[in-house]
Amino acid sequence: MTMALSSGPNTLFDRFSKLNWGIITILCALAFVGVLMHFSVSSGAWTDMPLTHGLRFAGMMAIVLVAAAFLDARFWLAIAYPLYAMALLLLVGVEVAGETRMGATRWLDLGPLSLQPSEIMKIGIVLALARYYHQLDPRKTGTVLWVIPPFLMIVAPVALVMHQPDLGTSLMILFAGVCIMFLGGLLWRIIAAGAIVAVGGAVFAYTSVLHDYQRDRVNVFLGITDDPLGAGYHVLQSKIAIGSAGLFGRGYLQGTQSQLDFLPEKHTDFIFTMIVEEFGLLGGALVLGLFGALMALTMQVALRARSLFGKLAAGGVAATLACYVFINTAMVIGLVPVVGIPLPMISFGGTAMFTLLVGYAIVLSIDLHRDQHGARGWLW
Amino acid sequence: MSKPKRVGSTLPKRDATVIFNRRAALLSFIGAGVLGAILFRMGQLQATNLISREYTAAADDNRFDTRIIAPPRGVIYDRFGVVLAQTSKDYQVAVVQEDVGGNLEDVVRRVGAILGLDAEWARRATIRVRGGSRYEPQPLKEGLTWDEFNAINVRLPELPGIVAMSADVRAYPFDVVYAHPIGYVQKPTQRDIERALQDPDQGEARAMYLRNPHVRVGKAGLEASMEQALHGEAGWRKIIVNARGVEQGEDESERREPVRGSGVVLTIDHELQRTAMQSFGDQAGSAVVMDIFTGDILVMASAPTFDPNLFVNGIASEPFRVLNEDEKKPLFNKAISGGYPPGSTFKLTVGIAAKQAGVEDDWHVNCPGYFPFGGRNFHCWKRGGHGSINMHRAIRESCDVYFYQAALRAGPERIAATARELGFGVAHDVSLPNVQRGLVPDPDWWFANRHERWTAGLTVNYGIGQGSLIVTPLQLATMAARIANNGRAVVPRLVREAPGVRDPAAPPVLPDLSSEHLAAIRLGMFGVANEGGGTATRAGNMIGLMRRPDGVIVEAAAAPPGSTPVQIAGKTGTAQSRIITAAERARGVMRDADLPWRLRDHALFVSFGPYDNPRYAAAVVMEHGGHINPQLDAAPISAMIMRQAFLRDPSNRQGARLAELEAGVRA
Repeated sequence: MTMALSSGPNTLFDRFSKLNWGIITILCALAFVGVLMHFSVSSGAWTDMPLTHGLRFAGMMAIVLVAAAFLDARFWLAIAYPLYAMALLLLVGVEVAGETRMGATRWLDLGPLSLQPSEIMKIGIVLALARYYHQLDPRKTGTVLWVIPPFLMIVAPVALVMHQPDLGTSLMILFAGVCIMFLGGLLWRIIAAGAIVAVGGAVFAYTSVLHDYQRDRVNVFLGITDDPLGAGYHVLQSKIAIGSAGLFGRGYLQGTQSQLDFLPEKHTDFIFTMIVEEFGLLGGALVLGLFGALMALTMQVALRARSLFGKLAAGGVAATLACYVFINTAMVIGLVPVVGIPLPMISFGGTAMFTLLVGYAIVLSIDLHRDQHGARGWLW
Repeated sequence: MSKPKRVGSTLPKRDATVIFNRRAALLSFIGAGVLGAILFRMGQLQATNLISREYTAAADDNRFDTRIIAPPRGVIYDRFGVVLAQTSKDYQVAVVQEDVGGNLEDVVRRVGAILGLDAEWARRATIRVRGGSRYEPQPLKEGLTWDEFNAINVRLPELPGIVAMSADVRAYPFDVVYAHPIGYVQKPTQRDIERALQDPDQGEARAMYLRNPHVRVGKAGLEASMEQALHGEAGWRKIIVNARGVEQGEDESERREPVRGSGVVLTIDHELQRTAMQSFGDQAGSAVVMDIFTGDILVMASAPTFDPNLFVNGIASEPFRVLNEDEKKPLFNKAISGGYPPGSTFKLTVGIAAKQAGVEDDWHVNCPGYFPFGGRNFHCWKRGGHGSINMHRAIRESCDVYFYQAALRAGPERIAATARELGFGVAHDVSLPNVQRGLVPDPDWWFANRHERWTAGLTVNYGIGQGSLIVTPLQLATMAARIANNGRAVVPRLVREAPGVRDPAAPPVLPDLSSEHLAAIRLGMFGVANEGGGTATRAGNMIGLMRRPDGVIVEAAAAPPGSTPVQIAGKTGTAQSRIITAAERARGVMRDADLPWRLRDHALFVSFGPYDNPRYAAAVVMEHGGHINPQLDAAPISAMIMRQAFLRDPSNRQGARLAELEAGVRA
């Protein structure tokens, strides 16, 4: 059997109708929750916020659908390394000529376009590692020698992003990369060794790499310092809002902590708190359920893809999504330190939405072309 | 048997798809576990709250704020219901910093330009405002006139953040007339707030009340001492605020309206008080008039005076400095806090003590103009002497030599005891702060404080009210009242009706004073004002009133036949405010008119009347008056006030009832 495209969709109708509409529906539902909450953030008025959020999502989603329908896995495989290389170069560029906003150098100003290379890297790391393991002899996966390249591929961007400093994003790149290595077949004893190194690294990071404001947050979280007016204030107000919300919440547009501005960053990092305050434990559970279903559907895409590249790429996107959702929600209820990670599709702002939707363009396209077996040498 | 060696043949065979699926399942389980943990944690927060309500309480604490509503202060009335202190509308200009937009000082300066205030004022006001809330109106200038208020109002559109508003503020309609007895209110100071915070009975709630920009507290006079009754009960509003403290709404069900402070009715008669205050001109002095039976203080005058309205919204430092450093001490209530040597007015006390010691009316003393005693000469004010003189004449003509010897007969202990019975050496409770106790010395006190034995020379000086003896005008009036009411221990009072103030019991009879002795003293006082040789006959003649047969007191000119004269009885006094040196006596530099004001003698006059049917007692002190101006002396001022008191006869007229006055305020 040749490496033919076995049974990909052929007609235009076919391409769209066979997209994974379950995933698309959930993404739309989450964006709708976003619009709903930004309407509430605006105290029940049609300001720019809910409109921008809705239109931004709709525009991006349209592109995602077309991209997913017309690009197959080979395209993503082809751009994996170039994309990663470009992202890494841009990160170095940020280091050299980045623009500083709010104390962190994350933006690269390219004329009319200003972008955060670290976001491109979130996709780049997933694709690059997926490609690496796709091409690697499974037997070599278990050797120490072949662990070194992916390890370096992860460490380089993580170090650059952490230096910006952007703890949240660097953790996400690290987490996605490690997940793909794990799914790619890393031996357990290497994992164990890595875990020991990671703990050591964390201690080292705390003592000499983290910036003061990051260390403050960690300290408050760990209960080393008590600082209700500083970093701890956000979490305290968030816990008050969630704790006092009850099963059904205070009602839409009625959240006192949110509407009276006691809850900081309610339109971005703490929007989940506002959902719980206004719609209660049940509303929060429903949104978490949507995210859970989205993760499950994404994992399903990974499981039924025939190519290892497709499996790993979809698994990487699922891991990235999980990373966003878990860190954000755990943060607002005080389970992890405040690291500034938004709730995707719901928090205001285009960056996380863009990153994740690019990820879902890949996932949807992989799912559409899932029967491409993608044997090694498939491209060549 | 060997197989061909191949690359990686030593490595175990692994199927990437199988591994992926196995591990993907594992990660999914972990993911589900994390999702469950987050849900569990949320449920746990709410379960905690179900039991402790801590998060609900914290959310309420965030969102609700209590705002104090300052209560209207109680009204102060005179004995007939004339309003002496009230709450009235005050026009103010304020700024809400959040709404200014541009430069705060620039806007404040433009407000200042409209009100005629300079850049320095604007600079200070800006600093003060910056220290306050950004979202609540911060007063810039209070006490605006109606014209100023209107000028601000019409230009509000060009003054962003500026608001013109009115607030309830204390006002004293007769300004300078009651500066001393009523005092004034001021904004609470930082010290008041700190003291409230330290006081376990007051605490945070009282401190919060004091921080309200509309709250004033009594700082002097009755406003300070009757603060409890006057300030009323603060109300509050429970408002909903956002994180910046800006009011978003109010929970009306939790609103409590403030309770107006209770009114206070004084014993003062406004007409008499005004007459007394006017009679001092620009001189320094004090007058107290009281009812000899009830102790009601009808007049409490202290001069010079000041306008208490200046203090309500905060007095500027320069006018305050001028008041505070004035040598005539306008801020000081001389009637209760001014301590003076009583001079010859004390001879009444010495006379009573001498009578108790057995001095009879026919006991005569020869006055050659001096009394040689203990190796030195004690002089009489009359250089030629009075010749042979008994007590009646000695009081009438104020002979010093007689009282030097009378004091020796009575002895210092008896004089001190009599003085105390007559109300000296006691801080009478007239519901005011800073009532002076004065000083009545006796040998024990002298030994305890001066560490030496009392000498007979001190007794001699005691006889004419000099030495360490210190009395207040209030005590002098009380003494005159006790002599006039035939020895009853009447106690002065300033408050007729107020919460917690009870009507006084009938004053007990003072056991050591015999009415026979007192009658003789009163007769001597009658001589002072009405007999030839009396030291105050000019004042006595100023009364000019008659009692008609029906008992009504009228002008002498309008009196029908059969009317009887209405007269006062009194005693003059001169209190040295310095020691006259022997050299000065020799040179003859003794006329007070030749001395600078602050070195002149104090002129005193105590009196009661009408003589035949006494009702009123008075004490007047003219500081450094030195008996220079016959119109502005203590005795004529006293006579003018007494004359009006007899005509008005406030003690025999129906006074106002607090309950009725209060009903009028509420309506």
